[in-house]
Amino acid sequence: MTAPEPVTPRESATGAIYDLGYRSYDGPRLGRSAAVATLFWHSLRSAFAWGKSGKAKIVPWGLSAIALAPAAVATAISALVPPGMGAATPFTYDNYMSEITVPIALFVAAQAPELVSSDQRNRVLSLYFSHALDRSDYALAKLAAMVLATFIIGFAPMVVLFLGNILVATDVPAAFGDQLEHLPQVLLAPLIYALPASALALAIAAWTPRRAYATGAIIAVFMVTAAVSGILEEATGGRLADLAPLINPFNAADGTRDMLVGDPNPQSSAANSDLDLWVFGAETLLISGVAAGAILFRYRRVGA
Amino acid sequence: MPLIEARDLTKRYGEHVIALDALNLEVEPGIIGLVGANGAGKSTLLKILLGLLDPTDGAASVMGLDVTRQGPEIRQFVGYLPEHDCLPPDASATEFVTHMGRMAGLPASAARERTAEVLRHVGLYEERYRPIGGYSTGMKQRVKLAQALVHDPKLLLLDEPTNGLDPAGRDEMLDLVKRTGTEFGIATVVASHLLGEIERVCTFLLAIDAGKLLRAAPIVSFTERTGTLSVEVEDRAEELAARLVADGLQAVADGRIVLVASPDERRYDAVRDAVDALDLALVRLEHQRHRLEDLFNTESAA
Repeated sequence: MTAPEPVTPRESATGAIYDLGYRSYDGPRLGRSAAVATLFWHSLRSAFAWGKSGKAKIVPWGLSAIALAPAAVATAISALVPPGMGAATPFTYDNYMSEITVPIALFVAAQAPELVSSDQRNRVLSLYFSHALDRSDYALAKLAAMVLATFIIGFAPMVVLFLGNILVATDVPAAFGDQLEHLPQVLLAPLIYALPASALALAIAAWTPRRAYATGAIIAVFMVTAAVSGILEEATGGRLADLAPLINPFNAADGTRDMLVGDPNPQSSAANSDLDLWVFGAETLLISGVAAGAILFRYRRVGA
Repeated sequence: MPLIEARDLTKRYGEHVIALDALNLEVEPGIIGLVGANGAGKSTLLKILLGLLDPTDGAASVMGLDVTRQGPEIRQFVGYLPEHDCLPPDASATEFVTHMGRMAGLPASAARERTAEVLRHVGLYEERYRPIGGYSTGMKQRVKLAQALVHDPKLLLLDEPTNGLDPAGRDEMLDLVKRTGTEFGIATVVASHLLGEIERVCTFLLAIDAGKLLRAAPIVSFTERTGTLSVEVEDRAEELAARLVADGLQAVADGRIVLVASPDERRYDAVRDAVDALDLALVRLEHQRHRLEDLFNTESAA
């Protein structure tokens, strides 16, 4: 695509007459599944501003770096400090995801509108809908791309922790065996946080063509729920304080992680609450399900 | 099998707005002009044919496929140029048209090749590597046409393709549409409120007004001779008309033009003699043709 195409304009009094390069196409047409796959990959790339200007990359790559930095630093420290010095890092598989909820929230707030609001603002949506896919295909492809992008943000540092724990050990093969049992949570924990956060952010962003409004609204939702939940937990007592963690969707993710991975993070509100962990699991499912439903509902009606 | 078929097709927006009112159509392939005033229901009809909008009542089919049930199958073979802006400003024409080609189901390499061909066809060269945000309206319309053509559709739906273009851009766009339709045999529906454009490009005309079909017929039947002779003189048209009436012809003066209605071979000589006798300056002598405007004038008068 780098060499310019041969240009054969012939200038005349009225304008230019161009050589028609048009030929008919008899090759394969891959249909609906290819359209959905194209949209998915295109959206995943735009979540990380792949193929966009350097300026557009600042936010997604910056937030990825912020999410990754603690794991990288912790691993570097344990590599530099000789074993036996007791250099226990503050970051473990148990608490890492709940430590990076701020960059995750900011990432979905910045990139969910990039995925859906601009298609509405530029009205590209009517072109998408005039191709071989349904409105729900569009919504689900966008959701899948957003979930995978957010998953990657959490998965990358978990992998760094995982590899770090193996490689800095004196006996690498033994460490590999030890760490292998943590592999399910290395995979599962980022997904548990990515699913509700992405669905919630996309459900908000799908409602407006204005990117700035969407980003503001998403940040507000995560900030307000975290603040209200925290204040109620601290300031009140009894039943209300027990229920307070449920207000924050990331607490629900904490609880779900604790339930599924069975390795409770002692600092999390979910672990300290009197509620059973399955309540948090149910809440995560509910948030993700309702948000996904809202996205599908929105795209069934949005004008194109 | 007709290209487009509609039976009692009705679309209401809310309680009171009726965009399409029990429309019945049967259209064969060709370059079809869909003409009507703003709000006549042109865009609504195109969107229903694409399956972008559901009809309130009735049914429609494209290439024998039902629009409400087989939307994706239809859309695979249809290219659509919307009336409004629909291009992302931060992508280049090449990136965007390639992406749309892939959305239409072309494999990656085919999408890239077809993008290069189609952008050349619409007349975009070096500028196609620049972001679309910096393009002129004319260039944007070309990109819109290119994305509609990239997957080699069997049917093109063009909604006001000359929207916002200057006269030169308008001519170029109409030329492109005509070439695409005639040389490549892609059935094309051009929606426009400008009769002149339809007349230049299309072979078949669908006229709709207030959601109802006004007329569906080949363009030539609208523009054929009326049998009336139109005589334009520099002045004193009334005297000429009076003289021709005195000669036993039916003639009416209308401004500087005298319309001679008699289907009589004698009339050419009569006009010549009358002009000579009155010593008038003859400007033009021609057979009057129907004009598309008459269609709307007579229908609304009726």
